[in-house]
Parts: sequence; C-alpha cells; structure tokens
Amino acid sequence: MSWLHAAFDSVSDAQDALEQLAEAGVAASEIEVRSSIPLVHEACPVGLEVRSRVPLMAVVGGLVGATVAFLLVSLTSQAYPLPTGGMPIVPLPTAGVITFEGVALGAILCTVATVLYECRLPRLGGRSGPLDHHLASGSIIVAAKSDAGASDAWAAKARATEVQPAA
Amino acid sequence: MGRPAGAFKEEALLRPLSGIRPGLIAGSLVTGAIMGLLFFCWGYQVRNDIGVAGINRPVFWGFYITNFVFWIGISHAGTLISAILRVTSAEWRRPVTRCAEAITVFALSIGGLFPLIHLGRPWLFWFMIPFPNSRGLWPNFRSPLVWDMMAIGTYLTGSVLYLLLPLLPDMAILRDRALAETPASLKARLYTLMALGWRGTTQQWHSLEAGIKAMAIIIIPVAVSVHTIVSWDFSMTLQPMWHSTIFGPYFVVGAIYSGIGVLMVAMYLLRRGLRLEEYLTDKVFNNLGLLFVAFTVIWTYFTAAEHITVWYGHEPSEMAVFWERLAGDYAGIFWGMIIVNTIIPLGVLSFRWGRRPLATAIVGLGVLIGMWIERFLIVVGTLRMPRMDFTVGTYSPSWVELGVLVGSFGMFAMLYFVFVQLAPIVSIWEVREGDHIANPLPASSQPIGEEV
Repeated sequence: MSWLHAAFDSVSDAQDALEQLAEAGVAASEIEVRSSIPLVHEACPVGLEVRSRVPLMAVVGGLVGATVAFLLVSLTSQAYPLPTGGMPIVPLPTAGVITFEGVALGAILCTVATVLYECRLPRLGGRSGPLDHHLASGSIIVAAKSDAGASDAWAAKARATEVQPAA
Repeated sequence: MGRPAGAFKEEALLRPLSGIRPGLIAGSLVTGAIMGLLFFCWGYQVRNDIGVAGINRPVFWGFYITNFVFWIGISHAGTLISAILRVTSAEWRRPVTRCAEAITVFALSIGGLFPLIHLGRPWLFWFMIPFPNSRGLWPNFRSPLVWDMMAIGTYLTGSVLYLLLPLLPDMAILRDRALAETPASLKARLYTLMALGWRGTTQQWHSLEAGIKAMAIIIIPVAVSVHTIVSWDFSMTLQPMWHSTIFGPYFVVGAIYSGIGVLMVAMYLLRRGLRLEEYLTDKVFNNLGLLFVAFTVIWTYFTAAEHITVWYGHEPSEMAVFWERLAGDYAGIFWGMIIVNTIIPLGVLSFRWGRRPLATAIVGLGVLIGMWIERFLIVVGTLRMPRMDFTVGTYSPSWVELGVLVGSFGMFAMLYFVFVQLAPIVSIWEVREGDHIANPLPASSQPIGEEV
C-alpha cells in the first residue's frame, strides 16, 4: 500500500484535509502529520492519542539518581573512613548536597533518554521523507495510506503532493 | 502558519550558516589567536610550575579562582534565564533563548578549566573523580570542592542537553534545505547527522515539548545550587567577610546579574553583526533592561546588607578587610564597582531611552567589569588579611595570570563565532511558533497544484 504525502501552506488547510480523511474513515494510525512547529492540538489526526511518559520518567530518574548518589557517598566514605574527630562518617547535610545533584542528574538523563525513545531517535540512517523540504519553508505535511482508486480529494488544497510507493 | 510558504522569512537567521562569511571567519581566527594565549600561558605554567603565577602566602587563590567564580556566574545567563522565561511562558523569550543557552555552555566550559589551571598539576585532577586512586582513597564528599565538581558537572551536562534538545527541529530544517539544494554536500551530511533523524511528527513534537518543559523545571534548582555551592567554597570557612549566611543567595543574584550583562552585550553584537534587528528587537532589549534594573536593585541590597552587618558587628578581623575595601588599597576598585554596578545601571536603565540596545549593551559591559571586581575583592581581599595578623600579605597577578584571563575571553568569543556558523543563533521553530500563536489561523491558501 502506498502513501500519499501532501504539503499544505496553512494550518486550516491541513485541518480540512484531516477532517476529510476522518470522514472517509481513514484510521488515525494510517495518517501522519509533520510540521516545523508543534501543532499537537491543532493539526492532529482525529482519534490519535499522543502520550508522553517524560514527566513520570523524570521522577523515576530523580529517584534512581538520588539512590545512586547517596550510596556512592555513604559506601565509599565507610569503605575508607577518614579521621573526623568523632563527627559522623556520613553526615546527612553534606551527603544531601551530593544526593541533590544526583536527583537532578538522574532526572535530566532520564528525561532526555525518554524523549529520544519516544521520538524513535536517533535515526542516523534515516533520510528525509517525501516533500520534507517544504517543512523548511513552513508548510505542513499530511500523509495518508491510500488505497488504489480511493479519493485523494483531501489533498486538493495542497501546494504539492507526492505518492510514496510501498517499500 | 503566519507567513506564506516559499517566502522564507527566516533567511536572516540562516545567513551566517550559508557560504563563506569573511567577517565571521576573521573573527574566529582573531579570537582563536587570543584563545591561544590562554593555552600558551597555561602550558608555560605547567612547564615551569605554579610559581610563575602571582599567588603566594597567604593569597593562595588569586586570578584563577576569581575567574572561575566569574565564568561560572556568567553561565547563569543562559540556561537559568531561558528556563525561567520558558516556565513563565514569556513570549518575548523566543529570540533570546538559544543565544543565552549557548552562553551557558561556553562559559561553564571555560569556568571549569580554571580549577584545573589553578591546580598546577592538572594531571592529578582525577583524584576528584569518584573513582578510587592508587591509595584506595575516594573523594572526600564532605568537602565543598567536591560538591563543586558534582554541581558543575551536573549543570554542564544539563545545559548541553538543554541546548541540544530544542536544536533538533532547527537542525532538521537545515538538513531538509541542504538536501534539497546540495544533497551530496558536507553541510547536508553534517546537518543530517545533527538532526538525528528528526521528522517533526505529532508524537515527536509532543515528547519534545514535554522534555523541554521538564528540563526547564529541573535546571532552575540546579543552576541555583551551582552558584550556592560555589559560594560555600568561601562561606564554609571562618575567614573574615566569607563566613556569611547570605553568601549563597548573594552569589546567585550576582551570577544572574552578570549573566544578564553578558547576554545584553552578546545580543547587541549579534544584532549588529548578523543584522538580526527583526528578531532581537527593541522590545526584547527593553524587557531585559527592566529585568536588569530589578537585579541591580537586588544586588545592591545584598551588597549593602553584607557590608552593614559586618560594620555593625565590628569584629576586628572583619573590619580590617572591610576598611581595606572601603578606604584602603582596594577602595578605588570597590567604589568603581559601585558606580558601574549600581549608579550607572539605575541612572540609565530606569528610563526608557536607556533601555535601547546600545545603552543596555554598554551598561552590561560595565556590569561585567564590576562583577569581575566583586569576585576579585571577595577572593583576594579576604585572603590578603586572614584572621592571623602576622600573615598579612600582598598579591599582584603575573603576566601568566593576565594572559590566561585575556585568553579566556578570547576562547568565549571564539566558541561563539564557531557556534553562529554552525547553528541558527535564534531558534527558527520557536520564532515560527510565536508567529503562529500571534496569528493562529491565517486565510486558507489557494491550491497551487504543484505536482512533484
């Protein structure tokens, strides 16, 4: 099955195309929208649920970072205890500073890793898609799987169209 | 999308990235040569030992630590200011964030060099890394110096990622343009690599926005912690005029203050040099100028609070340092600092005419000088007069330290010159998004019917 890609100059044209695709009964999973700005709430295939676990994973990363940092401080300090004149070997206030940085580092790394995972990046061998050069000048690309003989009327307002044959 | 397709309004942003720009190449070479001074002086010091620097008893921390605190402070220009503006959804942030975030990464990299330079024997630096050395010792996590390394490492990691993450969509725009124009060029391959395969799908945008928002929230406390911990290098000791409970916030405020100063100067030079008047508008300078006024007042308040408390307590060791600053050897630079950090900013930026680009850049330059003096007075002013009277000493920097200082500014400028030739210094997609928000649904375009 091939894909029909269409580049639109305005968000409203892309929205019209998406509405027509929905009316024609094309499933959201068979439609893709690409743009050079975030249009998650404006030009989204009808019925498509976009979700992100970034906030949750940032918290998880923070907890893991805190645990690792605290263990690093406490275990290494106890492995070779320096003379502290009767003061604690692992004082919580000083361990807290390192633990705080561990929270932040864990959360940062987990956030970035989650973004890359959800975006399916890096895709180093991946080439630009059809019409993607239109993204550079601000167009919005709507792509939909097309059956032979099905109406392509949804792409009527497009400034450019291209059919991508099935791989 | 707010502007017709084909009419690539952001052409001004791509100008530095296309073709050979003699001005930018000359700038890179000149600043690169100045940066060479840093490495020459450092190499000379490594070869001839730390004695070639002017530091000696009792002033063991001189220019190097002053520069360290200064550059770490400068780094607060970017990520912190950018994150605050993102979290508060300030629309005028859009042209500012990228050039601010780049400042952070470059300033942190330079600031991080100074402890190595100060170490004298930089090859022993790995003793600070949490990895047991040949004697089975781990770093002493009770030491503020180790906290420093952890905090700066975290901030640098976060800042680099915070710069790179929002860069992906712009790299994809550059990739798509380059592939359409010259598919086999080195530029096309470079941008293809740097875009990591970004396609701009709905899911990608959703995840990226969530990631940027999360990073902005995380990075703010990290930035605050970094300069607080730098201040604890001083305030955790009992030295006169260092052992202060307000040193943390005082350093953070000073860092943001100097950060805005360098941002003003950088933005003015970018606006003039790259002709970005359309993006770095008078309104942006006016808003940053107002922020600058606020931080002038806060910094002045902290400086006054710090000195009045010491004067009222009248503790002899502290008063020795106090009078040295206000009426002694350092009175000239102290009052100079007050002029460039308080009197001039308030006198100029309080008026609308003073918040125009050139005026704010000049004030920003003055604040940079003033904040460097502040760090010098804190570091050297106290160490010259420690608690034990018989150890009073003097300090004057050697040519090696001066060379390293000048070279660090060259390095900063060189990194910036290289960056503006590799990536758009104003975020294209964020500016486009701003246009779209201001003009959400323009009239439907007519079908062109171009078949590809």
